[in-house]
Amino acid sequence: MPEQTSSASDIRRSGGRLVAMGIAAVAALLVLGAAVLFWALPDANAFNARVERIFVENDNLTSAAEIKLLEILAQSGTAFSDTLTNYRVLIGVLLIFAAAMLVAAVVFLMLLITFNRRMAQIERTGIQVSSLLISREENKVYLNNLGFKLTDAAMETLAVLAEARMDDDILTGSEIEGVISGRSAADCDEAAGATRIKRLRDTLGNQMVSELLVKNIARRGYMLAIDKDVIKVL
Amino acid sequence: MAADCYADYKAKQDNPLRLHYGVAVVNGQCSKANARNELSKRLGAKGWTLLNVVSVFGPEGLAKRKDSAGTNFLRF
Repeated sequence: MPEQTSSASDIRRSGGRLVAMGIAAVAALLVLGAAVLFWALPDANAFNARVERIFVENDNLTSAAEIKLLEILAQSGTAFSDTLTNYRVLIGVLLIFAAAMLVAAVVFLMLLITFNRRMAQIERTGIQVSSLLISREENKVYLNNLGFKLTDAAMETLAVLAEARMDDDILTGSEIEGVISGRSAADCDEAAGATRIKRLRDTLGNQMVSELLVKNIARRGYMLAIDKDVIKVL
Repeated sequence: MAADCYADYKAKQDNPLRLHYGVAVVNGQCSKANARNELSKRLGAKGWTLLNVVSVFGPEGLAKRKDSAGTNFLRF
C-alpha cells in the first residue's frame, strides 16, 4: 500500500505554482483578447482607402458635386472610426477589469483550497495548542479555551517548564527539582523532577481526556465526546 | 506640340481625405506615362498625391472637361 504523505508546505508550494499559472493564463488571455481586438477593428484609414478606390476606379465620377459627396462619405467614415476607437478603449478597460476579477477569483479559490486542506490536517492532528494561559490565583491552566484545574505542585512544575520554553531552554529532572525547591541542581535527585513531571502529566492528561474524549455527564453517566461517524472498529 | 497636350487626372490629400479632379498642361511628350511623371511632381510640391491620369488629349478636349474640373481647370 503506497504511503499517503502530504505536508502543509507541499500544498502551499503546489498551490503557489497553481496560482502563478492561473494568473499567467489570465494575463495571456487578456493579451490575446487585446491583440484580437486591435487586429479585428478597422483602422481609421480603411474608409478613406475605400472611397479613394471608388474615385479612382470610376472615370465618370469627375464633377465637383460628386467629388464633394465622396469627400463627405469619407469624413463620415472617419467619424465612425473615431467612435470605434473610443469603443476599443472602453473594451480594453473592461477587459482589464475582467482580468483583475479573474485573478482575484483564482487567488481566492486557491486560498480556499489550501485552507480547507490545512483545516482537515489540523482536525486530524487532534489538539493543537494555540494558546496556553497560566492563572496562578485560580490554580488553573487554559489550553486554547479549555480550563484545567491543577494542584499547587503541578502548577509550579508547569510554570517552570513554561518559563524554560520561553527562553528556549531544556531542563533535566534535577534542574526542575532544583528550581522548584530552591536548591542547586547538583544537589537534587533526577527522579524527584521526573516524579513532578509524571504528576503534572497525570492530572493534566486525565482532565484533558475527560474534556476531549471520555465525558462525565452529571447524574447520568459517561460517554465518548466524539462524533459517532468517525468511529471505526477493525 | 508641347503646349497642345493636356491631361485630366485625379489627386488626393490625406487627413482629412480631400479629392480633386483637374486638368493640367503636359509640357513634355504627350503620353500618359510622361503626364503621370510630370503631374506627380507638380502636385507633390503643393501637397497633393496623384492618384491616376485619366487620359491625355489635345486642345479640342478642353471645353467639355472645363465644367467638371471647375477651380482645378489648369490650376497646376
